[in-house]
Amino acid sequence: MEQVSVISLWIALLLFGAAFALFIFHYLSRREQMNLRGVVVALAGWIALGVALILRAASAKHIPVVGAYESLALITWFLVGVYLVLELFTQVKALGLYVMPAAMLFLGVAWSSYSAPAGLMPDLQSDIVVLHVIVMFTAVGALYLAGFAALLYLLEERLLKRHRTGSVLGRLPSLATLDRLVYHATLFGVPFLTMGMVAGAIRAIAFGVEGWLYDPMVLLSLGAWAIYLALLYGHLRGGWGGRRAAWLAIAGLVVMLAIRFAAVPYWSGFHTYGG
Amino acid sequence: MLVVVVGVSHATAALELRERLALDGGAALGVARALLAPGGVCEAVALSTCNRTELYMYARDASAARQAALELLAERAGVSPASLAPSTYSHAGEGAIEHLFRVVASLDSMVIGEYQIVAQIREAYETAREGGCTSVVFNRLFRHTLEVGKRVRTETAIGEKPVSVSSAAVDLAEQVFGHLEDTTALIVGAGETGELTATHLRARGVRDLLVTNRTLAAAQEMARRVGGRAVPFEDLEGHLVAADIVISSTSAPHCVVTRERVHRARRRRRGRPLFFIDIAVPRDVDPAIADLDGVFLYDIDDLEHVVARNRAEREKEAVRAEAIVVEELANVDAWLRALEVVPTIATLREAVERIRTSELERLGGRLSGLDDEQRAQVELLTSSIVNKILHLPTVTMKDVAGRDECYLYVDAVRTLFGLDGNGDGRAGARGEAHGAGEAGGARPGTAAAETAAGSEAGAAGGTAEEAGARRPAPGAGGDAGLAVP
Repeated sequence: MEQVSVISLWIALLLFGAAFALFIFHYLSRREQMNLRGVVVALAGWIALGVALILRAASAKHIPVVGAYESLALITWFLVGVYLVLELFTQVKALGLYVMPAAMLFLGVAWSSYSAPAGLMPDLQSDIVVLHVIVMFTAVGALYLAGFAALLYLLEERLLKRHRTGSVLGRLPSLATLDRLVYHATLFGVPFLTMGMVAGAIRAIAFGVEGWLYDPMVLLSLGAWAIYLALLYGHLRGGWGGRRAAWLAIAGLVVMLAIRFAAVPYWSGFHTYGG
Repeated sequence: MLVVVVGVSHATAALELRERLALDGGAALGVARALLAPGGVCEAVALSTCNRTELYMYARDASAARQAALELLAERAGVSPASLAPSTYSHAGEGAIEHLFRVVASLDSMVIGEYQIVAQIREAYETAREGGCTSVVFNRLFRHTLEVGKRVRTETAIGEKPVSVSSAAVDLAEQVFGHLEDTTALIVGAGETGELTATHLRARGVRDLLVTNRTLAAAQEMARRVGGRAVPFEDLEGHLVAADIVISSTSAPHCVVTRERVHRARRRRRGRPLFFIDIAVPRDVDPAIADLDGVFLYDIDDLEHVVARNRAEREKEAVRAEAIVVEELANVDAWLRALEVVPTIATLREAVERIRTSELERLGGRLSGLDDEQRAQVELLTSSIVNKILHLPTVTMKDVAGRDECYLYVDAVRTLFGLDGNGDGRAGARGEAHGAGEAGGARPGTAAAETAAGSEAGAAGGTAEEAGARRPAPGAGGDAGLAVP
């Protein structure tokens, strides 16, 4: 079963690669059907990744969030899922070109830190941990996307300001679309982040974990949470240009990435479950 | 039989001559009808735009058709055919079809990549079709032409980037705001480019259009023309709060929109971006506003620059469009060639023979009881039935081979016997158009069969009503012929 899961993950990686190629072709040729095909292939990859995760969960007998391999694969699944929802159900189009490389990178890193499925350590066998993990991953998918959209926003804003109206500009979503995407993805992600943090705190208090508040991951999460709240506050109050929101979303992204790629493997006290 | 075109365009004739040759709907139909002649032109479409007047004919004799068209045009222009001839061009056969494809692809247009020509060709074709001037060949050719027009525009970026200052400005606004439905535009000053841009913005669905000017009367006048509303010039700052897109084209010698004003307005805008297009010389908008967050400013130089680059880009895309034209030409060519009598007879015989042998094979088991002689008898019997059935159609087709309407018979036979069903001719059409082509292909054929039958009855009675035979009734052949997906 584990073998099938790994093969399925590889298929997902290949499909994301194929989708990326189609998106590049769409970018160059402007043939609308290429984008559509890319979306279909990305959807197939997303399903393959879902299958891989389910099989992995079945063979490890717990939700696949233990260790870098499982958690990165799950993050990728959420990220691509959010992208697909946007592509299929909203006016936000043509982001696949930017989402696919990130998905491939994450899956690649996941694979490079592959670990055999292991049983769940007793610490993690609790409902509140499951809740904590699921809402956190939802938040991470949405907030990563907000960060990527913010990067595009700043790029496009700069191009517009400098009158670089060349081929790149015409192929980016409109500035307003990206601005909305940053805001909506953040608005979607923050409640989940909040819930996840509360669930984590309850778990830590209930089990009497020593010094959990000073855990680097907890501190960084609090920092990210504050950044995102500032972003939402600024947006609701109005008066902020899109640029400031974009910078905040990027700051948030940096913190989130630091949590995932620095805090979890190297710094964390108790969140390190197999890297 | 071949397609012939005679015409004048911006490349060959001055505006004054093109004006005299311009045809409105009724006149276009009149000209097409006048071209149709027994023994000469079988189908005709007259295309007239402000840049060209062209007559497309399906004719037996290219030079006769050419001469007839030239005379007709000369008559309309009020000059002699000899003096008109140097201003015209003419193509026949594949060249004419290539020309038509290049026209629909806007490769022959004054502004490469313009889109109107597709609608104009569609209208010209519809007019001719409803007037009964088209039949099998032009119904298919023009339908295919419109597909080519569509294909060129979806598969290349030929018409994508604007090549006029006003539409480039609107495009940039869309890059900032996405859809313009939720935006308000403010026009400052009464310049011509400003008005043109306002019209473009209106067309793209801008929600509210404010017009302001130092003299209120001028603002009101322009507001009426572009469908906006005039607002007092004194409250410019208030308008800057309401507006998202500002187009400025005053003749003021100094800046009308200062950085300070924009800065104050911006704070009341709750972070919404503000997009300035300054098409005035000297400039109306202080360039220093460009460093404010969420404020974008483009002046006339920037826009001209955009336009120049877009033009160059269209030229590049034109090369790809030419390739599509060549590709499509091959498709049509194969189909037109299939309309010949002799190969059709051969294909028909092959198809029926295939049915006969396959039926015999199917019965192989039951025939095993027969001895060799009996089996030979069965062979002979089936062959002779097939030959008897095919005899009359073959003779009739050979009979009409010399006549104008022979291709109608051919098309009918090909449709009735499904000769184009697998592999050759129109089945080779490219994937997307395939479904539409098949669906449309079956029905005009039926109509043609009816008319062909009618023509035969007429011929038998000694009074060949050629016009009636040649053209399907508008309702029958026409609608089916235009299978727009």
